[in-house]
Amino acid sequence: MGAEVLYTAVTVLLGLLILATGLGVVFLKNPVHAALSLLANLCATAVLYLSVLSAPFVAIVQVIVYMGAVVVFVLFVIMLVNIRPNEITERFFTPRLVLSIAAVVVFAVQVLLVNALVKGKWHPTAYVHAGDLAKVLFTKYALLFELVSVLIFAAAVGAVALAKKRM
Amino acid sequence: MGMSLVFGIGILTFCIGALGVLLRKNAIVMFLCIELMLNGANILFVGVSKFKGLVEGQAIVLFVMAVAAAEAAIGMAIITAFYRRRGGVEVDKADLMRW
Repeated sequence: MGAEVLYTAVTVLLGLLILATGLGVVFLKNPVHAALSLLANLCATAVLYLSVLSAPFVAIVQVIVYMGAVVVFVLFVIMLVNIRPNEITERFFTPRLVLSIAAVVVFAVQVLLVNALVKGKWHPTAYVHAGDLAKVLFTKYALLFELVSVLIFAAAVGAVALAKKRM
Repeated sequence: MGMSLVFGIGILTFCIGALGVLLRKNAIVMFLCIELMLNGANILFVGVSKFKGLVEGQAIVLFVMAVAAAEAAIGMAIITAFYRRRGGVEVDKADLMRW
């Protein structure tokens, strides 16, 4: 019983952390602060994967790919486009705020209702290690894996072509 | 109990990301909010993988991460090209096809 309570408490704590930093990404004016808030969000998500959802390999890949590559890349681009703090003129309290919050709340209530109503038989699993994941990845999804390499190659070439001065 | 809590976290993260995409004008912050939405979807995938006892959910999360990395490369290249042409990253500067 004690383990159950601890499990729920850790889930709630990490969930609150994830939602708070997510709201930080949306409502912080300075893009650098938003990117750092996303960094905290991804870190909390990695801890959630590791501790609650018993997925250590996905947690490590999350730290390397998202926190190590994507967020650093975004920070580099913020440095390149050189936004000065006094040039940030964005305002939040417009009619758009009300409309977008209304749209998102309608969507969220519907999906959360479905989530609360669905009952099923659940089979919680033990830790999924890299070996278990590799067995699926290189047999069932082997073709998909090769296609992802083509996609990333195309993205790299496309990024270089887009970043050239003259197109 | 544990599973609907985890799914709720994923759903709410996705909704916060969608709110950011609708609300913000800065293209870089919109991109960050798209990453937030992908992160919410990833939480749902790993949650299903945990509670249904399937490994496939985590394999799909790895593919989502690969696609997100490719999308980051293309998106950032588009944003820098846009900044060079228009002198800013606000999306209301892209008004060439505006009615």
